[in-house]
Amino acid sequence: MSDSVQSPQGSNKSLTVVSKPFAPDDETALREALKRCSPSTFEAAVQFRKTGNADHMPAVVIGVIERFVEPDLRAKLKDADDDLRLIEDLGIDSLTMMEIVILVEDVLQLSINNDELRNLRTVGDVKTFIDCKIRGLPLPRPTKFLPIEHIGAVMPVQPPFLFLNEASVSSTGANGKYKITGQEFFLQGHFKDNPVMPASIMLEALGQLAVLFLLEGAPTEPGKAIGSNTIFFTGCEGVRAHRMCKPGDILTLSIKPKRMKMPLATFEGAIRVGQEKAVIAEDITLTFAYVDVAVAPAPVAETSQPGSSSEGSGSNPPLRVAMNA
Amino acid sequence: MTSIGNDAATVTGNLREMRHGFELYPPFQKPEIACKVVGTIKGFTTDSVDPEDWTWPAGYEIKRETIRSMAPHGLYAHCAFIQAIADAKLAEGDISNRDTGLFAASAGSPMLTYYHHDRMIKLGPARCSPLGIVASIVGTLNFNLVAAFKIQGASTGFSSACASSAHAIAYGYEEVARGRQKRMFIVGGEDGNTDAILPFAGMRTLSLQSDPALASRPFDVARDGFVGTGGGVVLVLESEEEVSRRGVTPYCELLGWGQASDGYNVAISHPDGLGSKAAMDNAFKATGVLPASVDYVNAHATSTLIGDISEARALRSVFGEMGIRPGISSTKSLTGHGLSLAGAMETGFCAVLMRSGFMPGSAHITKLDPACEGLNILRATVPQAPKVVLKNSSGFGGANVALLMRKV
Repeated sequence: MSDSVQSPQGSNKSLTVVSKPFAPDDETALREALKRCSPSTFEAAVQFRKTGNADHMPAVVIGVIERFVEPDLRAKLKDADDDLRLIEDLGIDSLTMMEIVILVEDVLQLSINNDELRNLRTVGDVKTFIDCKIRGLPLPRPTKFLPIEHIGAVMPVQPPFLFLNEASVSSTGANGKYKITGQEFFLQGHFKDNPVMPASIMLEALGQLAVLFLLEGAPTEPGKAIGSNTIFFTGCEGVRAHRMCKPGDILTLSIKPKRMKMPLATFEGAIRVGQEKAVIAEDITLTFAYVDVAVAPAPVAETSQPGSSSEGSGSNPPLRVAMNA
Repeated sequence: MTSIGNDAATVTGNLREMRHGFELYPPFQKPEIACKVVGTIKGFTTDSVDPEDWTWPAGYEIKRETIRSMAPHGLYAHCAFIQAIADAKLAEGDISNRDTGLFAASAGSPMLTYYHHDRMIKLGPARCSPLGIVASIVGTLNFNLVAAFKIQGASTGFSSACASSAHAIAYGYEEVARGRQKRMFIVGGEDGNTDAILPFAGMRTLSLQSDPALASRPFDVARDGFVGTGGGVVLVLESEEEVSRRGVTPYCELLGWGQASDGYNVAISHPDGLGSKAAMDNAFKATGVLPASVDYVNAHATSTLIGDISEARALRSVFGEMGIRPGISSTKSLTGHGLSLAGAMETGFCAVLMRSGFMPGSAHITKLDPACEGLNILRATVPQAPKVVLKNSSGFGGANVALLMRKV
């Protein structure tokens, strides 16, 4: 039966802009549809339906997702950033995803093509996706999840000086994880009988994540790519270390581009361990250069319209992988 | 989870005291519905088509992701399953392994089938619930429980109407007896609500009595049809090796079974009960048990005009002609007819009454049908443990199953 989940008959009509006035009957139906969601979700949905203002959309989408998440996992959604993963972090399976979509379609009065769902892997992906649909913008490139093999293959930095175990890259930034194993060579001397991850190395790890973003996520021009051997560190500012990190800690790294203009790219970066802040860097600046490539890389925003989007999602769509599992 | 109790102790007490589980069923109290009485399941509310509206007795933790794909009887059976695990003292590792399977029987959920189809027709296929099918079609019981309890052995469903769960027990026995599985969960379930029961009005097989104490009276001359019920029952069958390895005392021993079909009519049982007789004969042949050693028969008798007589004739030809007089009763006089659930529910009754040591009477008989002459139809509970018990089940199409059990 999993086949029917992967290729149900959905409407090919992918975009419906709110057009008819919001009647009292609609409000009753909306209240019924959202009866298990928070009052603020209902309010946001009413506002959206009355005004068509897309600013209300995130509250509706998050409210609907929350309604389908087991109560003990809802706390995660509350403090979550956009990188919270639907399957891994919230326990949402592909059937629950369908339930979410049906309710969102119903509440926001839009139709979502089934192919489009498969790229939605994080809360941020969902928000961006719905936002683009409502505003009629082209759909963004989905978040790419990179296992260590992929990271090792593209990065100029290699073990034992590579401080990323896994990473995800989207058009708006990158996230990564690194577990301090205790076997890192420098911990033998930093410090004597007291292994502490050097702050300079943590900064290095953030820099590496920024490099990965430049190689895998940054916008480029047709026929050009950022050369992996052209990227170097130039400077950083506003660095503060808040917490000692020791063997066993799992570092959660994130970077977001602030400015990017050849040959400089500036990022902000942060490292957390669980919910605790470990390192903040206000500015990390790298230098880079473009090189010519034979095959044009994919543009940032896919111009292919929904309906023909199966082509765009053919590379390695994460939700499809999960559905096949 | 039955109309006469939601745990083995309550059910045992009500069987012994012959307390029925019937009520005037609120949805039937309308002029256009002639049938009034149902064997209701207490402690649950499952009227809504949305499982998230349902309520159930305290002590059963069920998550949204588990309940969302269930029919009402899936909820009943899920709760029964949790109880069965505790009652059988099964450890976690005893449940989810390649040697433990699950056979189930239910007629699906007419209520949810109707709801989801209606929604599809009115709102279009894009608004179909993704879980609509697995919640409603026949098989919903096994789909849900196998997933919820992570069953890894044999699993399937049985569909022979009112003989379904007796078939499930019978083939569960085969899995264990042939060494293919060490343990089988046998599950019966029925919604027992308007959508499950009222369609039988079309056959005129439902009792129209409005007195809950008179509606279900198998073998009584004034019986006028069956009273519907639902619920969920879970039985655990285990190999002797597993029983001794775990050091537990089972309720009883399942000796074997037999089956035969009437080959007569789609819905009417053979007037002389030939199929039922052949099923009993086959059960005796398969087990080597002699009819003379049977102490108690839990009859299929549902309180319908033709069915009860047909079974009475079959019983007379098996026992009466040899002058053997085992105690006979139909516990449907207390519970109502559980349809696909009936075989498992009543086999469960046989198990608890063997352990507790009594034979329940067939309730509500004022005047015994003369067609039952020569049979020892128990009118009151006999405080005596039967050593060998026979359980009859019959379903549409003239399917008949007979199970033989022995006290341990």
